[in-house]
Amino acid sequence: MCGIVGYVGFRPAANVIVEGLQKLEYRGYDSFGVATNNPSIEVYKCEGKISEKGERAWKLRGTIGIGHTRWATHGVPSDRNAHPHLDCTGKIAVVHNGIIENYAVLTRELAARGHIFRSETDTEVVAHLIEEYYDGSDLRGAVEKAIQRLEGSYALLVTVEGSDEVVAARDSSPLVLGIGDLEVFAASDVTPLLGYTERVVYLEDGDLAEIDREGWRIYSRGTPVRRPVEHVDWDVETVKKGGFPHFMLKEIFEQPKVFYDTLHGVTEASLPERYRRPSEITVVACGSSYHAGLVFKYLCESTCRIPVRAELGSEFKYFTPPLKGIVTVITQSGETADTLAALKKAKAYNCPTLAITNVLGSTVTRIADHTVYMRAGPEISVAATKSFIAQLAVLMGLVDLMKGGNRFGAALERANSVIEEVLLLDIAKAVEICRPAEHLFYVGRGLFYPIALEGALKMKEISYIHAEGYAAGELKHGPFALLSSETPVVALCPPGDTYSIMLSNIKEMKARNAPIIGIGARGDRELTDIVDVFLPIPESHELVQLVATSVVLQQLAYQTAVALGRDVDQPRNLAKSVTVE
Amino acid sequence: MQAVILAAGEGTRLRPLTRSRPKALVPVANTPILKYVIDALLANGIREIIVVVGYRKEHVIRYLTENDLPVRVVVQENQLGTGHALRCAEPYLRDQFLLLAGDNYIDAASIARIMGERNAVLVTDHPNPTNFGVVVTKDGLVSEIKEKPDTPTGYIVSTGVYALDRSFFKYTIGHEVPDALQAMISDGARVVPVRAVDWQDAVNPWDLLEMNAKLLPRIDAKRAGTISRSSKLYGLIRIGKGTVIGPNTYIHGPVVIGEDCVIGPNCVIMPNTSIGSRVTIDPLSYVANSLVMDDVVIGSHSRIIDAVVGEACRLQDHTATWTSGAVLEREGRFQKAAFGAVLGDRVGSAPFTILKNCIIGNNVTIEAGNTTVTGVVPDGAVVI
Repeated sequence: MCGIVGYVGFRPAANVIVEGLQKLEYRGYDSFGVATNNPSIEVYKCEGKISEKGERAWKLRGTIGIGHTRWATHGVPSDRNAHPHLDCTGKIAVVHNGIIENYAVLTRELAARGHIFRSETDTEVVAHLIEEYYDGSDLRGAVEKAIQRLEGSYALLVTVEGSDEVVAARDSSPLVLGIGDLEVFAASDVTPLLGYTERVVYLEDGDLAEIDREGWRIYSRGTPVRRPVEHVDWDVETVKKGGFPHFMLKEIFEQPKVFYDTLHGVTEASLPERYRRPSEITVVACGSSYHAGLVFKYLCESTCRIPVRAELGSEFKYFTPPLKGIVTVITQSGETADTLAALKKAKAYNCPTLAITNVLGSTVTRIADHTVYMRAGPEISVAATKSFIAQLAVLMGLVDLMKGGNRFGAALERANSVIEEVLLLDIAKAVEICRPAEHLFYVGRGLFYPIALEGALKMKEISYIHAEGYAAGELKHGPFALLSSETPVVALCPPGDTYSIMLSNIKEMKARNAPIIGIGARGDRELTDIVDVFLPIPESHELVQLVATSVVLQQLAYQTAVALGRDVDQPRNLAKSVTVE
Repeated sequence: MQAVILAAGEGTRLRPLTRSRPKALVPVANTPILKYVIDALLANGIREIIVVVGYRKEHVIRYLTENDLPVRVVVQENQLGTGHALRCAEPYLRDQFLLLAGDNYIDAASIARIMGERNAVLVTDHPNPTNFGVVVTKDGLVSEIKEKPDTPTGYIVSTGVYALDRSFFKYTIGHEVPDALQAMISDGARVVPVRAVDWQDAVNPWDLLEMNAKLLPRIDAKRAGTISRSSKLYGLIRIGKGTVIGPNTYIHGPVVIGEDCVIGPNCVIMPNTSIGSRVTIDPLSYVANSLVMDDVVIGSHSRIIDAVVGEACRLQDHTATWTSGAVLEREGRFQKAAFGAVLGDRVGSAPFTILKNCIIGNNVTIEAGNTTVTGVVPDGAVVI
């Protein structure tokens, strides 16, 4: 997903476009660019967030322009790969949202005809294709011919030096025109238009529009067509969330697909041979990513017999033992300051380094020797949900590769349907227990201990209830003193090695009158009988249960926070990525 | 022009298929019914579309967002009927609008016929009018509309598509939409009947097979994925990306297959079959006239005919359906219907299971092999 904005009118185009792109940031934020037509083409593009660096594009002059905020699919985010893309002459500028499926074929064809390609994107081919067909006056005709050659999905904006128009075209990617007084806008959705105009024209698949100050003309396969002018009174937030009350809920519900896509994104090529049999592994991360790292520790040590240390990024600089083996860092944004510092330290020790991140081309990917990506898509909610699930998918995939076989493959294959299943779970009774509580305990053992930590973190972050995650056996070494009828406990009690000991732990806690929310396998009668609220997980592989349990705990935190009226997407005092130490 | 699509109700008569989705989201030819309704509106240039969601609303919203559909979502918190659902959209409606059911198929030509009218109801003939609102006309106007009558007075039924204006709202308080329309007519309003071109409702789960067969010929042929050279494909076929069709597999369209499926080797897929995404069909199996949803596994040597298979079912080897027309009791009504099987979500079957004209609930496990299952099996049951 990317966002595009075009403007033809009387205002400084760069300002309008930057402001518009900032509203489209939820569609992608790894790089951006603006081109204005003054009447020569001026371009500013750079890697980074439009919300942070957008002002730099203000210097572009002109009242006609196009812009783009990117979420990289083909080619890493960089100044070079950011849109707009130009043709060989630098006179035609193009922004594009979508995927050109036959770009490789077209690139070869055009390169053979002498076109010079500067980026690794699928979009640049469109600029050269238009150049090929452009006769110096008929831009629409050239775009018309170019789009006939394209396969895939696109929403395009094109402007050419010396012309006072922007040409827009779409097929299977969204594009809408905003009609003002002596000004016309084009954008991926209505958010950039709001505040300027409420009159919009939606383009249909296969439509091509010519936009200038005087108005707009729409053509469908060369024939002029009329599209009605509609009136919108939506607010920006509604459009972005598409009907979900919060980004967090939207992201929770994206998880079945995210887990599936990420797991299938980990292939033989993801992990070079030299990383597969290290003498030891050090995992460094912060927050939720650290909890994913802990899961990796348990998993990797038991299945691959390789010692794994999981360390907090912020504490890592205080450790002095000699580092050996490989160092793996996990960060959603790729910009977490403490994690980056740890990575640099590992480099100084000459350790091979591996990064796991969600953002193509982020700082971490440029420092680490090798990067494995999660495929979670842009995560807007401060509380990590889908990125945590994606991290688990990557790490489970990596353990699979290190083990040298398809050990979990078949079992994890069906994980997405189990996540779907737990999204249907009615947790209202559990929320009722958590909502009035001032303190909560989350307990688990083994692989489920990190999941308990993560569950408690989610609860703290968004509901502001004091929640503590503990290894169940550690409770007796102190925290047991705090248990009473006022301190509900969320107990993770999956079938397996830890089951019987967890069950007796739960009985002990129950004896101190603590209300218990038990999470375990569906049909577990014994557990159902002793806990106050039982949340069943469908029977499946242990690792799938682990993923499903985290999803249930996210839901518990989310719904508790909503019941308490908290600002879920922007919890107090917190930022999405921590870029200072 | 504005349009309101009601997608808040569960559609209980379609159980067990509505556990994880409202009826509007049930896929037919791999596309939710709701999408056909939205497409019919968009084809007529109707862009201001409001979708009222309620039951399993997150799933509907997720579908709409993932597909970048240009609609506005309104939430009906409690399912208090269609009149109330429409009123949830009231703040966004100007004078005239269309009202549609999100869980009935409708084509663009029908919308074109009704969108010019002020107060109108789209009607069609139906052989079983007792399941619908029966419309009585007089002098070219609707004189009466009776919802699900025991003894119908004619075969003209309402399709649930209306052209209305704001004066309609005062009749909706405490009423379902057809009753409100009746009240409006009794008040002397002119309501015109407009004949639909193509409309279809799936009242019972097995009706989905008919709808599937009807909509499949309209898919766009496209073959992505990896298709073995020794497989034979005939007719209209759509195969999604990432899907692998193994050697010696025979597919006879119209057939649609989603993404990331593994089919074959040596399978046969016969006409009028929809197969969702991430489905595995093991070797030597035969599937015909069936609707198979996402994440299903069909074991080897299986024979699935005239069946609706819900999400993430795991049917082990040698599972067979047996089509016969038994009489079933559902919600106090006895119905005779000829179909193979209707399976809810996550049904598991042991090897050599025979499913004979049965409706199996969600999360049912058939543990013992060599069993023949008939009749209605409730959700969560274990068949031993």
